[in-house]
Amino acid sequence: MTVIQLQDVEKVYRGKVHALRGVSIEVMDGEIFGLLGPNGAGKSTLVKIIMTVIHATKVSGTLLGKPIGDRVTLESIGYLPEHHRFPYYLTGNQVLHHYGALCKVARKERNTRASSLLTRLGLSGWEHKKVGTYSKGMLQRLGIAQALMNNPKLLVLDEPTDGVDPVGRREIRDLLAELREEGRAVFLNSHLLSELEMVCDRVAIMVKGKVTMQGTIDSLTVDSRRYEITTQGALPNWATELADNVSGNMMTFNGDDPAKVQPVLDRLRAENATIVSVQPVRENLEDLFMRAVDHKDAPGAIR
Amino acid sequence: MQFKALLIDAYRQLSAAKLFWVTVGISALVVVAFGSIGFNPEGISIGFGAYQIDSEQLYEGSPWARGLYIGIFSSFLVKIWLAWIATVLALISTCSIFPEFVHSGSIELTISKPIDRFKLFFSKYLVSLLFVVLQVAIFCFGIFLCVGLRIGEWNPMIFSAIPIVATFFSYLFAVCVLVGILTRSGITALLITGIFWMMLWSVQTSEIVLNRFVTGLQVDIERFDEGIVTATEELIKIQAKSETDFRIPTLEKRIEKFQLEIDEKQESLDKLTPWHTPVEWTLAVLPKNAQTIGLLDRWLSDSDGFDIGAIMNGDMRAFEDEDVKEFDPTTRRARGREANRRIQEDYESRSLWYVVGTSLLFEGFILGLGSWYFRRKDF
Repeated sequence: MTVIQLQDVEKVYRGKVHALRGVSIEVMDGEIFGLLGPNGAGKSTLVKIIMTVIHATKVSGTLLGKPIGDRVTLESIGYLPEHHRFPYYLTGNQVLHHYGALCKVARKERNTRASSLLTRLGLSGWEHKKVGTYSKGMLQRLGIAQALMNNPKLLVLDEPTDGVDPVGRREIRDLLAELREEGRAVFLNSHLLSELEMVCDRVAIMVKGKVTMQGTIDSLTVDSRRYEITTQGALPNWATELADNVSGNMMTFNGDDPAKVQPVLDRLRAENATIVSVQPVRENLEDLFMRAVDHKDAPGAIR
Repeated sequence: MQFKALLIDAYRQLSAAKLFWVTVGISALVVVAFGSIGFNPEGISIGFGAYQIDSEQLYEGSPWARGLYIGIFSSFLVKIWLAWIATVLALISTCSIFPEFVHSGSIELTISKPIDRFKLFFSKYLVSLLFVVLQVAIFCFGIFLCVGLRIGEWNPMIFSAIPIVATFFSYLFAVCVLVGILTRSGITALLITGIFWMMLWSVQTSEIVLNRFVTGLQVDIERFDEGIVTATEELIKIQAKSETDFRIPTLEKRIEKFQLEIDEKQESLDKLTPWHTPVEWTLAVLPKNAQTIGLLDRWLSDSDGFDIGAIMNGDMRAFEDEDVKEFDPTTRRARGREANRRIQEDYESRSLWYVVGTSLLFEGFILGLGSWYFRRKDF
């Protein structure tokens, strides 16, 4: 089932800033979907349109099967905005109750859920302390707990690991994996490519208000897969004829078929060449991102 | 459930503000000071008996004692403490509620919840008025006890100060909210609201002053006109008896003087009327906060009692010679008394719709603008 289906989303701010230019994305039930892109690409605008915080200039599509902007649908969505601010005068427990009540969660249910979420996110013992005393990482974790108060089918997280230490990040990754196991969809907006690579099933890369790539990391990197063979000493003369690329004492063979490199290895052995390594290689998310962004162009929205 | 959550949040926000408790503390002191005034058969005691003032009019059980006690509440405590000092403190405490509410990082958390933006805006507005309602309710309860214990009158009308002061405050708070969400700055909201309040005060004062002049001139013209009629009738009577009566020149001179006065007053009236009408219309569409607070006087006043409000307005003459028939209605004093009576009657005859209804219409317009902006705004 599709939880988010957006087609041709456009957003033009005052002053003719074209933040989104026909964005279309699809997020499936039970998957972790990562949205990435450079600053000013329109990621936060897209997230805010999904959460009705911003009005799109043009939008069509559905959210949990209902038209975008339907308020009732928001009862089943959890949201953690970037740089969120909780009222300083509330305790952690009161924050969860307040936002839970705004999501129409019954009091009894709020009591049970607040207690279990605070434990799950490592905030036990802090529930009755004012949020003004919380560290950045604790506020992030409280923010995630807040987003889970309504037991959402879809969780929209904008930079959830911002300010969180490595241990905390690991815990959040594990939590996201658990949420996926529970059948929830997670829409993740993050700058941390390595984080996304570790947890996301699919990603979309946005550049200048457009989605330039979308799919699983495997499918997006299929063209970049190759085998690299490194020898000790100079390569034989025939290497330039057989290999797709030669650089120093390394030959590169495009594609992910291992059979393609077997005759090369046989020939090298027959000529008593010393093989240092044979490596299947593919682009990582950072390479993919850099390719998509094409950093020669200045990032940002179009005017 | 959502409204309750916002209500609880507003209470927590207010109780977290030190100024809220400071205001409650000062209110309590004011109530204690009020309660320290008492009456005994000899007169009035102040400071729980520390000072004694003997009086023939103000003593335990006298109607003037009741008038004084209720009058201190409606004319001093409400008009000065609640309508000025406590309102300024309340505005300082609440001016940042909406700017903080729409602050980036905070507003996204709330408007992404399943609650309509209109409903959210108005719920937040109503619960923010809680500050004033709570303050005034505590204050009125204290006053209610004081009045009951001191003069034995358990007057529930004292609690009418709660909606009156809350309504009065809401006129200003609506402007504060609009500026707050437009600028996202509590200080700017407070400053603009202060300027708006001063503007209201200027318009209302202008209306009062112009009304006083215009009514005074109208009374003068009427009285001199009547004086001419009376003098002419007297002159005709005297002339019928004798053409050479010694009173004839005096009466003719008097008629001439009255006519001159009428011409002079009419000229002044003609000059003032073009100013009076626009000011009246301007006031008609603006919140009438002074008149709203004045409603309490109307509802609490006792025609047989001592009207401290009149003393505050400098109208001690209202208590003098009430039943004495005017000997000469054209004297300055008689004309002044009649003008004051008419002005008083005019203000008291202004309907609840005119005083509160039109003010609420203005408030509704401002809140309509605010909610429209809030609904359309991309945060």
